[in-house]
Amino acid sequence: MKEHGKFAPLFFVGPHIILFIVFILIPSIYGIYASFTNWNLIGSPEWVGLDNYKTILADTDSTFYSQFFNGMLNTLIFVGLSVPLMIIIPLMIAVALEHKEVKFTSLFQTLIYIPGLVSISAAALIWSLIFNKQLGVVNNMFGSEHVWAATQPYAWITIIVITVWAGIGGNMIIYRAGINGVSKDLYESAEIDGAGPIRKFWNVTLPSIKFPLIYTMVMTTAGAFNVFAQPLMMTDGGPRQSTTVLMMYIRDLAFSHGESIAGVASAMAVMLGLVLLVISAIQYYIMNKNATT
Amino acid sequence: MRKALMAMLTLVAVLLVACGGNDENTIQFWTPLTGDDGAYMDQLVEDYNATEPEIEVKHIITSDMYTKMYTVLNSGNGIPDLSIIHADRVPSFVNQDLLKPMTEIMEAQPELNADNYIEEAWSAGEVDGTQFTIPLDIHGSAMYYNQDLLEKYGVEHWLDDNVVTFDEMLSLQGQLEEGDYVLNDALLSWVLLAQIQNLGGDIQENGEPAVNTDAMRESIEAVKELADAGLMTPYGEDGYLMFQSGNVLFSTDGTWSSTGHAQVEDLNFGVTNIYAFEPDTFHNRSSAHLFAMLTNEERSEEKEQGIADFLEFVRANSIEWAEAGQIVASQDVIESPDYENYMQSFFTSSQEQEESLHIYTYEHYPYVQEAMDNYVADLVHGEMDIDTGLEEMQKFVEDKVAEGSLDMENTELLDEDELEEELSEE
Repeated sequence: MKEHGKFAPLFFVGPHIILFIVFILIPSIYGIYASFTNWNLIGSPEWVGLDNYKTILADTDSTFYSQFFNGMLNTLIFVGLSVPLMIIIPLMIAVALEHKEVKFTSLFQTLIYIPGLVSISAAALIWSLIFNKQLGVVNNMFGSEHVWAATQPYAWITIIVITVWAGIGGNMIIYRAGINGVSKDLYESAEIDGAGPIRKFWNVTLPSIKFPLIYTMVMTTAGAFNVFAQPLMMTDGGPRQSTTVLMMYIRDLAFSHGESIAGVASAMAVMLGLVLLVISAIQYYIMNKNATT
Repeated sequence: MRKALMAMLTLVAVLLVACGGNDENTIQFWTPLTGDDGAYMDQLVEDYNATEPEIEVKHIITSDMYTKMYTVLNSGNGIPDLSIIHADRVPSFVNQDLLKPMTEIMEAQPELNADNYIEEAWSAGEVDGTQFTIPLDIHGSAMYYNQDLLEKYGVEHWLDDNVVTFDEMLSLQGQLEEGDYVLNDALLSWVLLAQIQNLGGDIQENGEPAVNTDAMRESIEAVKELADAGLMTPYGEDGYLMFQSGNVLFSTDGTWSSTGHAQVEDLNFGVTNIYAFEPDTFHNRSSAHLFAMLTNEERSEEKEQGIADFLEFVRANSIEWAEAGQIVASQDVIESPDYENYMQSFFTSSQEQEESLHIYTYEHYPYVQEAMDNYVADLVHGEMDIDTGLEEMQKFVEDKVAEGSLDMENTELLDEDELEEELSEE
């Protein structure tokens, strides 16, 4: 029995720990190591110290410098545009579905959730046809004359539209679960105190679902920083590399034409990871601070 | 309990090891042939296995093949016995010692020799006098025309000499109905690579990448003139689709597209060369699918014999491959009467045509093409200044070459053994 007690926890966490070590921890450490090397994925990596970081952060003449900063800028634009929408829209839908007079809530919930289950590549093909100048609904029905994928700001709009379309369902489910957990008493007492719907939302709903909010905000931001498929499929990074996000440069450097430049790619990935880490930490800090006051 | 834990760990270990299994009695054959191409290759392999060879071939399609190759080469585990690589990979693979020469294969099947293949495809696998690959096909740029539109504008005679020139196309300026275009901008970088050949230029100079050159500028400016004249499908629009919907006279895409165009109802089309400056100097930028063996000491002699037998079978029977729209490399196939039924037989119909197929074999060609793919559409459509674009492209390739090719000067901090030690510690 004593034996049992000792090993049981290990048995339960074991599989996860093993998978975590094999598929996340070791690759991450190796990735960080690779960022200090010159490596083509085949030979032995050559240690070059901080050279890769110097190149992407300080060597203003280098292609990799401009790729890194252009990629980072575009990634930040994407995060800045998509994350607020991915939080606010699902929250509004979740609140709206709580209204007493809304019928078929499960149906709406399902309809909004389904796009998230469609493979992003398949979805991107459909959406690029919707925005296609000759065949697309957008141009033919609404009389738009733009080549969406090749003109700004329309290129960004197509990317944001598909992202929001595919992404709001997941967050909405979390918010609905959170709102369902809020005690009805709170709403009733708020009503007795004369609070209207908006007041109830700000003073009852929002404070009560703080933790789902922190969670979705951090996860959505992390996901947005790793954006890759939408711009690749919708605009291929154009026009003039204005929608080429950092992950696209990283992938092109490591796994595209010609000999791999995995060292610089890893350095870019590490920098992306650091930015993400800092931003997530700040988010946690701000939200937690608010949660305790 | 401890036993259960051990059992679980063992199971995980077994599962991980099982992924890299290597069978003595099958030839593991990797290709990057997704879509229809893969199905045609499957058929070829199936036909070969039906002849009951001693060692069967197992065709494995991997969409991310080159990345996976790097992985298995690195681990030394699960290296395929045979694979298909693109012509532009040969120089760098050979430089990195990743390919085994075909010498023994050619000895085992003497018909696998230069005389039996299209010259350009064969020589794409030759580095410093050693043959590293056996070709399957040539595929590359092709220009499709819309017969009905040619008649509508009365310009069928452009095709008389099999070469449409810039001047001929420019003559239609201002005469097109709204929504019609003379040409699209599909595979634009390949078209420009052909023009560079037409102008006698190159993408390298003494082994150094040369992108910012007069030939490149002249090529881009010439194509830009077509775009400026309103003859080219507009920036960012799907010119391939516009050709298929019958609004474009010429589509500059690939040999393989013929199967796609053929599926479009009422599209009356044919194939010709990529447009050129002069009718007597024309090129079509090409690549090739080549059979190659990655370096692997565990490959047995029996397997090599099996590979030779398979390649000989493909040489004799690859008419199937013509279905995929590719220019088959085997002379036996392209000289067979059946091959004439395929549209791409145009490109091997004469000595002159065969010579128009140009494969770039410069070591850093992939970087050059990547740069062109990133920039040329912006340059041709006037979205970006040509001088700036050329400078950035040149810089792009130079930076990649500097980073990508491992120069041994950087190893002063650690030599290779130390590195290996460090890696094993991790």
